[in-house]
Amino acid sequence: MIEVIKPGLESSIQDWPGRYGYLNLGFPWSGPMDSWSMRLANVLVGNAPGAPALECQFMGPTLKFNQAAVIAVTGADMQPKLDDVAIEMWRSVAVTSGQTLTLAFPKLGARTYLAVAGAFDVPEYYGSKGTFHKGGLGGVEGHAIQAGQSLSVNTGNGQAGRQVKEGARPHIKTDKVWEVEVVRGPNDDWVDDAGHQRFLSTDWKLSSKSDRSGFRLDGPDWTFNERAHNKLPEHGSDPANIMDQGYPVGAINVAGQTPIILVNDGPSMGGFINPYTVPQCAFWKLGQSKPSEVYQFKEVSVAQAQQQARDIAALCTEASIEQV
Amino acid sequence: MAHEVELQTAGNMWKVLVKIGDEVSAGDTLFIMEVMKMEVPHEAPADGKVTAVNVEEGQEGLDAGMVAVVID
Repeated sequence: MIEVIKPGLESSIQDWPGRYGYLNLGFPWSGPMDSWSMRLANVLVGNAPGAPALECQFMGPTLKFNQAAVIAVTGADMQPKLDDVAIEMWRSVAVTSGQTLTLAFPKLGARTYLAVAGAFDVPEYYGSKGTFHKGGLGGVEGHAIQAGQSLSVNTGNGQAGRQVKEGARPHIKTDKVWEVEVVRGPNDDWVDDAGHQRFLSTDWKLSSKSDRSGFRLDGPDWTFNERAHNKLPEHGSDPANIMDQGYPVGAINVAGQTPIILVNDGPSMGGFINPYTVPQCAFWKLGQSKPSEVYQFKEVSVAQAQQQARDIAALCTEASIEQV
Repeated sequence: MAHEVELQTAGNMWKVLVKIGDEVSAGDTLFIMEVMKMEVPHEAPADGKVTAVNVEEGQEGLDAGMVAVVID
């Protein structure tokens, strides 16, 4: 068992690809925001890439191991320490029973992943072991981990002394400016040409009012075409209103004038337009950015986005591991 | 002995509850940050007098690790 001494800031068990296939019932995907880092943490300790691991955000947890284990910490550098001795990120490490793992704040990036050989043992709920914290389901008792809880781990075959090759890791931006891929649609035809140009040329600032449901962006106002202004009354009165529709995961949802990227725990439907969508291959960038950092959106085709996702998946395998 | 209270997370400064010269007790809330729509209070590690306050309400995009308040 692993005892939670300090929980950190909404640290939660997530698996990949998450609660896939239930948006029609209102369940978001959940899952890790930076699945690239989480999958590599699992591969390091001999788990399946999508096995349940712990996502830590902004302030890390303190965990006491009451059993021997092999662990790996990837993603943002939360300065991991075992009994006050620093351990390497992106490397499998042996933990002896009685040792305490401390994760602090990330020196770079925002989200850190802890995988344990054998993987966290939590019940499956609607096809996933991932946590939907706001919905109170999945993970440990439906929520982020809490002080005093004990986390159980299945028996595993992890080996210490393995590390992820430098070229296989995501590179977190140091200049606080991120180029984020977007694909057009589904409601791009509600925005005028000036609106599209403005969207793709603006430095959008990530608001601190952002979480695993939505990433709110500060920037200029949108302009719309005739279709948004001259429409049937059932679409609603605001230009950004549309008759209620399903939302894609990653939709850039124009709520009046504020764009909100609907991320892992986001809503599955509503009545605002989504002129662009952030594809899955770019989600790790969202997961690793902090409030006040800047997004510059770059339009790519669906085929390009899918190829990038396949390229990342190919990196999240044993081929990316080397012995220390 | 001076105690430096560092920001434990990146984010915005929502409330600053102390000023230079205030006497505080261990466990008193000094300031509250905001990140991911959550409040993150920071508490005094020890009794003492506030000798420096390096943050202001409304500051955005602060990085973790900066010394926000010093208690002596």
